[in-house]
Amino acid sequence: METLCPCWVGEHPAEPKPDRVIYLVRGEKKTRSPLSQLYFCRYCSELRSLECVSHEVDSHYCPSCLENMPSAEAKLKKNRCANCFDCPCCMHTLSTRATNIPAPMPDDPTKTTMKKAYYLACGFCRWTSRDVGMADKSVASGGWQEPENPHTQRINKLIEYYQQLAQRERQERDRKKMARRRQCMPMAFSQHTIHVVEKYGLGTRLQRQRAGAPLSSLAGLTLKEGEDQKEIIIEPAQALDEVEPLPEDCYTRPINLPEVTTLRQRLLQPDFQPSGASQLHPKHKHLLMKRSLRCRKCEHNLSKPEFNPTSIKFKIQLVAVSYIPEVRIMSIPNLRYMKESQVLLTLTNPVENLTHVTLVACEEGDPEDVNSTAKVMVPTKELVLAGKDAAADYDELAEPQDFQDDPDVVAFRKSNKIGFFIKVVPQKEGDTDVLVSFKIRHDFRNLAAPIRPNEEAGDATTEAIWLTHHVELSLGPLAP
Amino acid sequence: MKICQLLAEPHRWLRPSVKIAAGAVVCVESEIRGDVTIGPRTVVHPKARIIAEAGPIVIGEGNLIEEQALIINSYPENITPDSEGVEPKTMTIGINNVFEVGCVSQALKIGDNNVIESKADVGRNVILTSGCIIGAFCQVNTCEVIPDNTVLYGSGCLRRVQTERPQPQTLQLDFLMKILPNYHHLKKTVKASQNPS
Repeated sequence: METLCPCWVGEHPAEPKPDRVIYLVRGEKKTRSPLSQLYFCRYCSELRSLECVSHEVDSHYCPSCLENMPSAEAKLKKNRCANCFDCPCCMHTLSTRATNIPAPMPDDPTKTTMKKAYYLACGFCRWTSRDVGMADKSVASGGWQEPENPHTQRINKLIEYYQQLAQRERQERDRKKMARRRQCMPMAFSQHTIHVVEKYGLGTRLQRQRAGAPLSSLAGLTLKEGEDQKEIIIEPAQALDEVEPLPEDCYTRPINLPEVTTLRQRLLQPDFQPSGASQLHPKHKHLLMKRSLRCRKCEHNLSKPEFNPTSIKFKIQLVAVSYIPEVRIMSIPNLRYMKESQVLLTLTNPVENLTHVTLVACEEGDPEDVNSTAKVMVPTKELVLAGKDAAADYDELAEPQDFQDDPDVVAFRKSNKIGFFIKVVPQKEGDTDVLVSFKIRHDFRNLAAPIRPNEEAGDATTEAIWLTHHVELSLGPLAP
Repeated sequence: MKICQLLAEPHRWLRPSVKIAAGAVVCVESEIRGDVTIGPRTVVHPKARIIAEAGPIVIGEGNLIEEQALIINSYPENITPDSEGVEPKTMTIGINNVFEVGCVSQALKIGDNNVIESKADVGRNVILTSGCIIGAFCQVNTCEVIPDNTVLYGSGCLRRVQTERPQPQTLQLDFLMKILPNYHHLKKTVKASQNPS
């Protein structure tokens, strides 16, 4: 969230441009997004968006020191890095700086020698750790401590109590389920309990501590009863009648504005929420995580990043742009109400084999066609796209393939891309953008499907299936 | 110039001169125009511009003026250069200030130990006291006195107060004063000519 100073003169920073070409995802919820943000499950042969996949945490890492951390350790450290700090003032990363200070030598107190003292400093807002009174440390890292929350003990006790309660509730629920289903399989059992969101964040640590009890997720048939668990008793919180009164000069004291913390600075330290800037202590940097995406229907991974935090590559990357032909708008003429104009679009083939694409205009009363404000006439003939050839740029030979292109339909052809025309007749007057939609039907060769063993040795081609996608184009406003 | 013109415009008696003190390092590629006084131990990088249009500029010692910095004492917008009754105001810059690359400073009074970071823009009606830091790309065009040890940072020019002033860049100044003469010719003091005609 950003707030701008009222004296800001200039363009509003980074307003996202409206997406021009969007594809419809037919999931549980019909979402529309540009192809670059979609994934393609090649086992289900369907488009998937971020909302119809399940997100799983792969690994945790610190964004500044790029240190990897296993999930259990991350949970223990409350998802914070041990070495890096954030500036409490501007949330930038703090850097450690050294100064030389004269210090008495240990052997001879009269002579002084230069010793290094380290302090934390922010390069952006020039905050230093000396501003809040933190003394300089003699070691470069590891010497900085966050201030202790006075209520830590009480909070920990409450957490333990509620974790135990959640554990007990879960055992009872599992027992009831077990009693109902006579022939429950342990595997189905475990899947259910793994996916269920744990109440109060029950950690595996607690389960490991009780060595005698089995993990309730597996082998639920042998729950031990009457096993001695340490009963945790907590005292209920006490409500007080009297509250600390406000200071006398609360209304008359002039405010020292630079000393007052902003809401954001205050809420980033929920333990103390200091109102004065001289009590803002640096906090450890938050860890970021790498996530992997999984199709909910077939449970295959759609996106799995590399484990190493320094690597941006993916082990599995089933993104839609590498399987589905992409439509892009190349040029839009002046659009006028009820006048037919020609719009130039391009179609790119991402796969290496020849692709046949047919465009079909949406019919009347199509339930997927809700937003369009213009009539569109798409080319009726089938468009043929050449395969993507990585060496095409370096090959000096002329194109061996000769597609008979109708010059009224196909404007140009360049390796795996063609430009073609569609005719648009805007139907609505006014300030709204002109939106057209049509269906694009193409053949898809599923290389992931296993080749049946009884196929003939010479037949190497896999069967092609035809996929249909609903595409919407936003062509901008009508010409004035 | 005719005598009647001289009497009408007394501030044009002396041809404007640039007085550079002995220990200052001012590169020849810098552009200095008008009545400018530069104190000792000040370093002016090539392509820096110090322009005294509407009055003289006095720069103290130990300042660091980096490339493409612009220190200009210009006429306020609604006053044309030739109108009557315009008093030339002197722009004073104190000691140990740093004008980083590409900054623009029109402030009439700058104290000591200030840092104007890269591409910052300080307007004419601002008065910087001591220890102020104007962050990178911050545009300060209010009409106020910025108190001591204030830091302006961020796109909204947020402010906070530091507890200590920024350190003077003595190491950097020493290094530059040794190295710059190896690669650039330096400007020397220009003697003012008393005879206008």
